[in-house]
Amino acid sequence: MLEIRELDAGYSDLQALWGVSLQVQEGELVALVGPNGAGKTTTLRVISGLLKATSGSVRFQGCDLGREPPHRIVELGISQVLEGGRVFTGMSVHENLELGAFPAKARRVRAQSLKWVYEMFPRLEERKHQRAGTLSGGERQMLAIGRALMARPMLLMLDEPSFGLAPLMVQQILDMIVEINRQGVTILLVEQNVRAALELARRGYVIENGRTAGEGTCDNLMDFECVRSAYLG
Amino acid sequence: MSRKLIVRVALLIMLLAFLALLPVVLKNDSIINLAILVLLYVMLSSSWNILGGYTGQTNLGHAAFFGLGSLATRLLWISGWPLALSLLAGGFVAVVLALLIGFPAFRLRGVYFAIGTLALGQILFVTVGNVLPQISALPAKYLASYELLPRYYLFLGLAVLIVGVASVLVHSRLGLGMMAVREEEDAAESLGISALRHKLLALCASAFLAGLTGGAFAFYHVGYYPQFPFAPVWTFDAMMMAYIGGTGTIEGPIIGALFYVVVKELLALKLVEFHLIIFGILFILVVLFLPGGFVEAWKRVRKALARQLKSFQSRPSP
Amino acid sequence: MLGPIAQNLVFGILVGALYGLAAVGLSMVFGVTKFLNVAHGELLMLGGYASFWAFTLLGVDPFLSFPSTILFLVIIGVVLYKVLFSRMVKLPEELKIRNTLLIGFGLSLILQNLALRLWTADDRGVTTAYSGWAITLLGVRLPIVRLASLGIALVCLLALHLFLRRTYTGKAIRATVQDWEAAAVMGIDIHKVYLLSFVLGVALAGIAGTLVSVGYSIEPSMGLHWTLKALIVMVLGGLGSIMGTFVGGIVLGVTESAASYLIPGGGTYREVVGLVLFVLVLILRPQGLFGAKER
Repeated sequence: MLEIRELDAGYSDLQALWGVSLQVQEGELVALVGPNGAGKTTTLRVISGLLKATSGSVRFQGCDLGREPPHRIVELGISQVLEGGRVFTGMSVHENLELGAFPAKARRVRAQSLKWVYEMFPRLEERKHQRAGTLSGGERQMLAIGRALMARPMLLMLDEPSFGLAPLMVQQILDMIVEINRQGVTILLVEQNVRAALELARRGYVIENGRTAGEGTCDNLMDFECVRSAYLG
Repeated sequence: MSRKLIVRVALLIMLLAFLALLPVVLKNDSIINLAILVLLYVMLSSSWNILGGYTGQTNLGHAAFFGLGSLATRLLWISGWPLALSLLAGGFVAVVLALLIGFPAFRLRGVYFAIGTLALGQILFVTVGNVLPQISALPAKYLASYELLPRYYLFLGLAVLIVGVASVLVHSRLGLGMMAVREEEDAAESLGISALRHKLLALCASAFLAGLTGGAFAFYHVGYYPQFPFAPVWTFDAMMMAYIGGTGTIEGPIIGALFYVVVKELLALKLVEFHLIIFGILFILVVLFLPGGFVEAWKRVRKALARQLKSFQSRPSP
Repeated sequence: MLGPIAQNLVFGILVGALYGLAAVGLSMVFGVTKFLNVAHGELLMLGGYASFWAFTLLGVDPFLSFPSTILFLVIIGVVLYKVLFSRMVKLPEELKIRNTLLIGFGLSLILQNLALRLWTADDRGVTTAYSGWAITLLGVRLPIVRLASLGIALVCLLALHLFLRRTYTGKAIRATVQDWEAAAVMGIDIHKVYLLSFVLGVALAGIAGTLVSVGYSIEPSMGLHWTLKALIVMVLGGLGSIMGTFVGGIVLGVTESAASYLIPGGGTYREVVGLVLFVLVLILRPQGLFGAKER
């Protein structure tokens, strides 16, 4: 479904990615792990269109995403939950979710999508009219995920969804992600919490210093120093 | 001394000689007045450039220094002070203003500094217009002894002075500091360069030289409204000339000033004010596509030509 | 006793409403796109001249020619955005603000001189049959035209407020202001949002200009004057609050009137009061009276 080949990308004069390659098949839950600052977020940003690659290709269902602006990429079926959630604090939970269904296709089924999201996150329904800025960290993350789902993505990318959350909350969120995957949404999960990521995903990639350092199933990945130390540490 | 430097100095001397002999050769008053206008703009634009181009602080109230200098000089000179002292006084009054507004103004960063100085300039403009609404006319004896030539040489001398000071300043350590502040203020600070000190110094230098320019203006004009040199149009014109010529260079303001006056004269007969429209368009084009102005354009052309020449030279002979 | 003071106050409020309207237009553009279009005053002027022409050439009442004036300004706004300002979108914020400031200057020079050629330097105004009418309430004279202007300004701002709060597109604009990356990855076309906001701001300037041409007068050099007013009020009121900005406009209008009344020979110091207030607010409370603390 998603195929990235030899991706180079960077910020002004600073190159951040060198020949990154990865693949995600339909229906999978794939993890992207690696140390801080390795380039995981950068990779997601290139896929979403927030950052233009300097070379290499990103193909989604056969289409080259290279020149597309971010909003077009959402229309094509990729949604991203940015690092930190980034909900619109000045608006209510409900308004945030409504906005999530901005693409025309999603707008048509907005009512059903809302029902779906509220079913999955009853806490959000309880706080429907509350301003997003008043939510707790975990609730905001739920809102961010729910909002991304409103666009009815085929591929959902999550950037560090467990960051800064209490362990109980982390478990809840991770369970939700598995559930979302089970309901048919392909997932690309970026996580620094390697243990959690590898529990969910059957396959993963390791990114170190802007390069794909390796790929494999849970067991192979244990061969990597960074993975091992994170797991044991 | 390198050959380049010798050539440059020689050209400079030739240029100055040409300018010095201009009124002697061409005894045409209107040409001399035109030359004075160019020199005035060179001075105003170069002084703005010190703070705006080299230190990167867009001062939209530059006319305040120009006006204050002209006001002080005019008042003192008419009341009998010797010219040199009046001019210096004009410069110093401008510096006093610079110091007064410098501290609070530099608490504003970036665009806030620009609109803050715009407001300050306007305040002075309106206030002077209220306090001194009557035209300032030369008393009879000054009128009788009015000669154009000394005024031309004053402008020439001051213009050389201002460009010279700017040049020296820019090539000094201070100048380096100023440019560091322009590029990356925070990074400069972390290297021990006091941004505030450099900005203030640039502001004071800019103010003093603009004040002198104002003084020359006051000496030159027979009658004018004291409010006139405070008008924002002087700031904007000076700024645009610097941009079109190339901010952050010494030649930029000079080229810009020359260009402005020439275009104005060329179009003055048929399309009055059209030169301003053209100027505005050019200014926008420079901001959008050619941030280094004509100076940069010239450098690019030279590079392209040099490359062409090289590729010709490296071709095997037929 | 109360007469002249109240009269002064009322005139301050009436002109302040226009200040507020102009400022909201500028705020709309700057708040969303971070373009500081200092030719805002000149666009306001164009609105005034558009209604002037509609009136003197076609005999259309200025309040009726609003649609055409707005259309005219919308077209200009789209052209200006596509040709000039859209190139600035990708720049980092500081550079964006500074470059658009410079472009605005060039633009204001061009528009000013175009106006000079087309309409000469004379003061122009739209004088209709009812221009001189006024109602007198409690000893205070209220010119009908300026009252209507107040009403129109309020209606426009209320409409804008509702648009931003209640409509889907309006919320998309607010979302973009809050976090443009999050908005982008949700499928919101940032370029369209920028264009829409810019055009809205320009349209508001046009409306304000029409009201100025009816209630006051217009001439080619009024641009800077009104840009400054808009800037002052925008900073006074703080970004992000339409009503706050409007109140800021009223505050400026009333302060100017009060100053001109209280300071002897003060009529001429109206300008200065506003500017001094502006500088003080910039230095002491940059988020304005109603804005949220940014830094």
